[in-house]
Amino acid sequence: MAEEKSTSDCSCNADKVVNIRLMNIICYVKHFARLVAFFVFLATGCAHSPVQTASTVSAGDVSSPPQVTEVVSASLTSPAEIPDKPENKSNGDEEYPDDIKDEQTATIADPLEPFNRAMYHFNDKLYFWMLKPVAQGYSSVVPEPARVSVKNFFSNLGFPIRFLSCLLQADFRGASTELGRFGINTIWGIGGLMDPAANKELDLQKQDTDLGLTLASYGVGHGFYIVWPVLGPSSPRDSVDIIGESFLYPVSYINPWYYWLSVRSSEVVNATSLRIGDYESLQKAAIDPYVAFRDAYIQYRLKKVKGRNQSPEKAKPQDK
Amino acid sequence: MKKLFAAVNILIVVLILSIPVYAGVPMATVDATVNRVLDVLRDPKLKTPAAKEIKKEKLRVIYKDMFDEMEFSRRTLTRNWNKFSPDQRVEFVNLFEKVLERTYIDKILDYSNEKIVFYKETMLAENQAEIQSKVITSSKEIPIFYRMILKDSKWKVYDVVVENVSLVQNYRTQFNDILNKNTPEQLLEILRKKVKEH
Repeated sequence: MAEEKSTSDCSCNADKVVNIRLMNIICYVKHFARLVAFFVFLATGCAHSPVQTASTVSAGDVSSPPQVTEVVSASLTSPAEIPDKPENKSNGDEEYPDDIKDEQTATIADPLEPFNRAMYHFNDKLYFWMLKPVAQGYSSVVPEPARVSVKNFFSNLGFPIRFLSCLLQADFRGASTELGRFGINTIWGIGGLMDPAANKELDLQKQDTDLGLTLASYGVGHGFYIVWPVLGPSSPRDSVDIIGESFLYPVSYINPWYYWLSVRSSEVVNATSLRIGDYESLQKAAIDPYVAFRDAYIQYRLKKVKGRNQSPEKAKPQDK
Repeated sequence: MKKLFAAVNILIVVLILSIPVYAGVPMATVDATVNRVLDVLRDPKLKTPAAKEIKKEKLRVIYKDMFDEMEFSRRTLTRNWNKFSPDQRVEFVNLFEKVLERTYIDKILDYSNEKIVFYKETMLAENQAEIQSKVITSSKEIPIFYRMILKDSKWKVYDVVVENVSLVQNYRTQFNDILNKNTPEQLLEILRKKVKEH
């Protein structure tokens, strides 16, 4: 009798132990992923030559087309090589003129292309088979203003990462703007569902920055292109933001993991529901969609890096 | 004293006159063209599905007027332009235009009273300008910049930058990638297929 009891106790305990083990393993996997991402960053991003940063961009350059010195398309020929055959202009016989030479192409190294292409196709299927149908169903049920509110709510939760990024970039005006926004939107915006801070009177606009841009402001180059499964296009430098998010984004602290997963999924579905069609149109327009998305990613990020490095005073229009 | 007063007056007048005046022409050009597009899209007579083709035809005329497709093509091909024979160039320009048309025409025809604001004009060079505009929908603002070039005293668009992504540069990267491994003829073949598949 006593023996029986003890065995049943044992099995109960064993269940608990297994449960705890499982939790631990999940925890380990989470931490391991963070560590791996961190090492990838260390091994690659840091070794890169610095970007041309704020100080070298003069006010006059503000409006010039993207001039990227970081990685310039290697085979850009010198203007002297471009022949100057004067031919009939209207027939498309014009040679490529050298006045376009300053419009260099921003590129990013892509040593992992086979892997990235595979991940691109994986994410593509994920979008068309899962995310898009779900987001479409969701958007047919939930009216748009509500979805915008949900977006605002999650955006408000992203305050710590933006605030810290501003501080680390010594952008104190940005940091105080973020702080003000967070306070106002949390209190007057019903926990961040609305965005009263961005209205005309207060004009506290969201500081569009992250840890990847912070590193960029320190002169860290983007390294190479990497497409993460689910998370999409990134680079070792910008992946730091993924790690930072797991510490600084409140949603990451939700326990147990399946709550976290469902909250995170609903955030993604909500955000997607507001942008259905954008992905498709870029894809439809592309001759080689993989390359098109890679280029769009790098153009978008470089522009953001440039934007962060310019104070608003400098960004005024040039008048000639 | 009078002299001083006169001098100050002259100074003020000179200062006022020398305040840089915006060229304004590029922005006015784009603004007018976009309004023409909106007129077509809003035209109540063309609301029926049957009128879609008429709308498309009208938009095509405006597009030809607005865009410098030669400049657009050359800038996407950059140095590769020189590898194309004159005939291939003509075909490339036509095919590329069709690819763009097929991609964007439905998006444009989908237009449903979003607000379009033009707010800034920046001169990139003496004959080049960038016009910044944004499309405001209920949930977001999409920045769209038009890059324009002055040719034969007419401002024409040679690049469109949507959310900081330049269309020309995006295609340039793709064409570069393709032409690194393929001949111009093969690129044209890819484009022909792309036009057909829609």
